[in-house]
Amino acid sequence: MKRSELCSRRKSSVGIASSLVLPGRRTCPQVVLMEALSCGERRLGSDEEYAAPAVGVSLCDSAPLVWRMQDLRAVRAQGLVGALLGSLPRTPRQNGRLGRPLLLLPEEEGLLRERRAAAALPDRCQDWGGAELRQKHEEEEKKSFEEQSVLALEDRKLALLRAMTGAESGATSADEALRRRLQALDQNFTFPQSAMAVQLSTARAGLSYCPEARAFLQAYGPTGAEPRCDARYQVFRDLRGRGFYLTSAGKFGGDFLVYPGDPLRFHAHFIAVCVSLDESVCLLDVLAVARLGSNVKKTVLLCSPGPDARVCYTSLQWSGMI
Amino acid sequence: MATIISDEFDGHQDPEESRSSRQTPGIMADQNNTDDKGKFYSEILSPSELFAARSRSHKIPVRGQKDFFPDDSDEQKQRLEHSLNEHWSLLSEERVERLGNLVNGQWIPSKQIVELQSPAGKFWQTMGFSANGKQCLLPEEALYLMECGNLQVFHQDLPLSIQDGYEKFLSANTVSLQQYQVFGHLKRLGYVVLRFDPSSESSSYARQLNLPQSSDRAGRQLKRKRSLSPAPSSTPTATCSRAEAQEECSTEKMEEDKCSEGEEDKKLPEPPEAQSSADEGGGRSWWMMDVLGDSDKDSGHGSKSGSSCWDFSSISFPDLGSTSREHFPSDLAPPDPSLLPRDLKVGFCDIAPWRQKINLRQVKMSANEQKREKYRRRWDVNKNREVRRCRNWAEYQELMARRKGKREGRPAHLWNREVTPLHDPTQPIATGELLEKISVIKPTHLLEGASRLKDADDWRICFNVYQPNTVADFKKSNPGKPYSRMCVCSFDDPVPDLRAIKLLAYQSGDIPVVIAVVDYGDISFYTFKDFQLPTDVYP
Repeated sequence: MKRSELCSRRKSSVGIASSLVLPGRRTCPQVVLMEALSCGERRLGSDEEYAAPAVGVSLCDSAPLVWRMQDLRAVRAQGLVGALLGSLPRTPRQNGRLGRPLLLLPEEEGLLRERRAAAALPDRCQDWGGAELRQKHEEEEKKSFEEQSVLALEDRKLALLRAMTGAESGATSADEALRRRLQALDQNFTFPQSAMAVQLSTARAGLSYCPEARAFLQAYGPTGAEPRCDARYQVFRDLRGRGFYLTSAGKFGGDFLVYPGDPLRFHAHFIAVCVSLDESVCLLDVLAVARLGSNVKKTVLLCSPGPDARVCYTSLQWSGMI
Repeated sequence: MATIISDEFDGHQDPEESRSSRQTPGIMADQNNTDDKGKFYSEILSPSELFAARSRSHKIPVRGQKDFFPDDSDEQKQRLEHSLNEHWSLLSEERVERLGNLVNGQWIPSKQIVELQSPAGKFWQTMGFSANGKQCLLPEEALYLMECGNLQVFHQDLPLSIQDGYEKFLSANTVSLQQYQVFGHLKRLGYVVLRFDPSSESSSYARQLNLPQSSDRAGRQLKRKRSLSPAPSSTPTATCSRAEAQEECSTEKMEEDKCSEGEEDKKLPEPPEAQSSADEGGGRSWWMMDVLGDSDKDSGHGSKSGSSCWDFSSISFPDLGSTSREHFPSDLAPPDPSLLPRDLKVGFCDIAPWRQKINLRQVKMSANEQKREKYRRRWDVNKNREVRRCRNWAEYQELMARRKGKREGRPAHLWNREVTPLHDPTQPIATGELLEKISVIKPTHLLEGASRLKDADDWRICFNVYQPNTVADFKKSNPGKPYSRMCVCSFDDPVPDLRAIKLLAYQSGDIPVVIAVVDYGDISFYTFKDFQLPTDVYP
């Protein structure tokens, strides 16, 4: 049956629940189509949020990645979740929690572009390899080494002092030895190079060396990877506008997983499958996706963008005998 | 005595010490925001922070239970804030390592590899290769080690960040971002992942050549085990010979018939035309002449109206064996002289001595036998429609032969042609063999026909994956057989068709190919397994 027929069979206004029962044999459960109830969420305010500073996006192998912490927070503040790809610095050898970079869905990228909230970061520092940069780097390393050795000395002294004051009525010979060690510390302390702590930065740190940083920001134009199909993008925009959080749902056989709130705190309620209105839907596909949805305890949502920028939603729920 | 402090940095700190000297549990990169007014990037740690990073916890906070539905309650807001803060603090932690623990490498864009400047650590057992006397790493291996905090790569004397690594090392020429995701995922699980080199795999043919084989066996091996042609090749020739024999017989017969009227009874079924025409022609004329000549018959009503048969019901043949009282004349009257040849005088015949010679005793039969005898007396072969359709003795013989063939399962019309039935029912055969003979759909192996396929660009095996428990005795020079091979694609790509699967299986040999499907951060692994439909064959 055509998707448009399905939509026109019911009242199309949001919020009214009506049910469409597919005729079926008595023995098998009937699939009940219900109008999707709109979630009691807040709609995004119009323009206040978009006045925030632009999110810096870098391209890696033609995929949009977000590296800087401020950019990650800004992306989250706009309600876009993305997907983390890298190892977590604290525990790199596990797959449970991943770290930066954040990969943006093509729809998220498109949305940022539409809101003019993204900026393309330059892919390399202009002065890389220049003598000036190298000199700066060496100087900073030296400074860091000096500071760290001072800190190390203080730390060692503190440790010895604590060991001394701990033994109040203890043997004075031990105390004497410690006092002597303390005095010797100032002369004989060495902080080896190999003990110095060094940072392996995640985001590119080189730009701090470049003078005219802001001039490099360009308006984020189309990267050539347009949102895969228009239907998906319309649905994404509409659902995001209603306050839902969306992530990709390839594993669930759909286009998006729809969360009522931040995915950190809530489970997904819907699996959104985007179908254009004039596409005919094979009944077997509908049954397959309904079956899948019921197995993972999520409601399947068939989404089709309509002509007047409105999106028609149909939810599938597996019900018992009617 | 000079005290060297290095030992304090190695192990874990005394908890008492760490608590006293440091307040913050972790170092957040964006605490620097206030300091870097002039800087563009603000995630550089100050030396004090670097120093303090020694005492970081290495545990990840466990995620609690999620809520079901947002209800704008303060509790939920608090929990969300707490989760988000935890999330940000984990993500913003920067990698801090002791210089002594880091291996240094240099990126060489022309060769797209990383050359190590200091000796490799424990990772050398499973990663890297030697070139020109130097230890080198492939770009994906180098990036993984950078993410683990074991390697620092320099380019033009400046250290590369992880972002630089991603942007420089990953490209369509080396390893794509999706392939690196799969690589990283597997390495973090502990597998040993090496690049796949198609030329290093010996083809199945080459492997066959390595086996010790005599030339005879090789020849015999080339023979196809399954053939679609019917089994014995003797059948077609037998039918041919029989057909030939038939033709010979019939021509022989025709000549013979023309000469004489008597012919031998041949066992083989003969074509009816040649024989019957000769037979009928001669016989019919003889009858007709007689009937037309003498129209006298016993019963009086004749078959003069054109029928060439004698009316046997009107001609009485004396039944000397009959025991019924009616037929008991003492002597037989002589027959009608018209029925006899000329010049033959027949007198009355005394039946009595003949009857003595006949055994007139009643046969003793059981009830069943009597019943059967009754049916047999009633049965008339002429009542059968098919028999009545036979116009002469030859046709009747054919009918008998056909019936016999049907009874025994080898009807002549099926077996006398070029295309014979698949199997002779009179021959014994095992059920399994019979099933295989009649099977319309035969099972095929995945690699059948795969060698003929031309290489396609879109489906390529990327990595060899080896089990984690073999790491202890893993040798890069002789890795052995991989556990599986990886092919990377995304959910936007089409599902691999049979052609692609055959190609991948052929490239891989006898090792299963796993297809890793990347979905923006999620990776799912799929593989196709061989399956055989069970057949119910009881020997």
